[in-house]
Amino acid sequence: MTAFLALLRRDIVVASRNALMLLTASLTQPVLVVLVFGNILPRLHLVSDEFRAVMVPGLMSITMLMAGVQGVLMPLSTDLGGSREVDERLLAPISVLGVSIQKVVAGAIHAGTAGLIALPAMMLLMHKVTGVEVHPRWALLLPGVVLSGLLSASFGLTLGTQVQPRFAGLLFAVVLGPLMLFGCAYYPWMGLAVLGPVKYVFLLNPLVFMSEAMRMAVTPDVPHMPTPLLVGGLVGFTVLFVVLGTRSFARRTIL
Amino acid sequence: MSTSPALVVENLTKTYPAKGKAPAVEAVRGLSFSVEAGEFFGLLGPNGAGKSTTLGCITTLVRPTGGRILVAGVDVVAQPIEARRRLAVVPQTRNLDRDLTVREVLTYHGRYFGLPAAEREARADRLMTELQITEKATSKPLTLSGGMQQRVMIARALMHDPRVLLLDEPTTGLDPQARRQLWELLQGLHKRGVTIILTTHYMEEADRLCQRLAIVDHGRILTLDTPDNLKKSLPGGAILDLVARTPQPLLPTLAALAGVVRSERLEDASGDATKERLRLFVDAGDGLLDRVLSVVKSAGADLDHVSLMAPSLEDVYIHLTGKDLRE
Repeated sequence: MTAFLALLRRDIVVASRNALMLLTASLTQPVLVVLVFGNILPRLHLVSDEFRAVMVPGLMSITMLMAGVQGVLMPLSTDLGGSREVDERLLAPISVLGVSIQKVVAGAIHAGTAGLIALPAMMLLMHKVTGVEVHPRWALLLPGVVLSGLLSASFGLTLGTQVQPRFAGLLFAVVLGPLMLFGCAYYPWMGLAVLGPVKYVFLLNPLVFMSEAMRMAVTPDVPHMPTPLLVGGLVGFTVLFVVLGTRSFARRTIL
Repeated sequence: MSTSPALVVENLTKTYPAKGKAPAVEAVRGLSFSVEAGEFFGLLGPNGAGKSTTLGCITTLVRPTGGRILVAGVDVVAQPIEARRRLAVVPQTRNLDRDLTVREVLTYHGRYFGLPAAEREARADRLMTELQITEKATSKPLTLSGGMQQRVMIARALMHDPRVLLLDEPTTGLDPQARRQLWELLQGLHKRGVTIILTTHYMEEADRLCQRLAIVDHGRILTLDTPDNLKKSLPGGAILDLVARTPQPLLPTLAALAGVVRSERLEDASGDATKERLRLFVDAGDGLLDRVLSVVKSAGADLDHVSLMAPSLEDVYIHLTGKDLRE
């Protein structure tokens, strides 16, 4: 446990030194999206008020997904790259599983921080526009953020250990891009009833559960998916990716 | 027994499984040796001989296919975490944490191993002084020269006071001056009682530093002894070179002398037909030199040059494998 906490401390210290850069990387996109779709377009009467209320939790979940995946994926590429910096961690008195779990926890902290900073930033940008009902319910929001962070980071661990770093660009284009578009970030899952049974296909996308969790916690007036399905999806995907990610981490590190 | 050997490797094998089109690789094929506490031990062999894989297995980063490894009595497969507390490794690739300063590299390593704050600060200070890196304490590792990074890695390895220090080809890629400094440093550590295990493909390094060394090739130990004994194990045990101007060939008479195991005529660049350059592989026993000189005298030859040399590890290696160390 000493080694686990020491490794976590190291990651948090290093991340806080690079905080400005990391936050800029995570927040630029959602903040600009909010600025355009939540502020400019409504003033031009090109999008409706409902869209803005739907978008806020969705953008939170996208922010957390990106921060969590990048927070694990980027360090992992130096860790597993030519210089094998990971060996220093693997030689610490801690199990290989411990090292990989520590990476997930560090990534989750990164993701959660980004999500919690994104929320007020977005609310501030939409401040002057009327009709947005954003009421964070902290008792739901905090566990939702924690689970979403763990899900994003373990997804990052799975991708980072199974995809070669040179394909990272492709990964963002063909995996994360589609996940974000079909992740119920810009529309509520309940609204997909218009698609008939196709709406269940969306449940293969882990981001859907993150978006719906944020929706439940931040915009109470917008309907969200049934809570058991929501919690089941979040926990289920987190467990799945932790298992897959830690396994392939062990395969990649101990030859 | 309270003092178990620092390291025991028993019948170690490692086969990397086939991957796609690449066939399975038998990197280590039944390696056994042990290293006593306080010893300076070397694994000498060409690239691809299995040295790094062996080191990987000892340091718990490579899973052995078979065999057993004990570090200070602890089985590295059964108790990897306990084994890691007892060993430290300076890897071949420079893997310093690029986001920390040199000082933090040391203190965080101390944290990982659970050293209390006062102790890790004091130890970091002492090691930085000892390894002459104090002035770089606040630099990031990637801004340092290769030799400096090497010293930081050694300081880092010593932070948790390991029983065994393993170094994987530590001087590869260092300039001659940095290499010499590193040798002195390692000798100093050894004098202080640190058990050191080093892999290298440099003969001179192995000869100079190691008390005992194993010559490894194709995943097996070809021979294991002190450098001196290895050299003595060559046929004859010494090499006698001589150059003489002579009216009649000396080689047949010299080759027949007691104590001469093998002999050969070497090329002479001068083109002088009366000049003979000879190399004799000899048992440098009693009176051999006298017998050689009397042969030279009675043939009426003038001796230009004579030298009796101990063979080098290079000669041992060539004798064992029939080839040069391939780089």
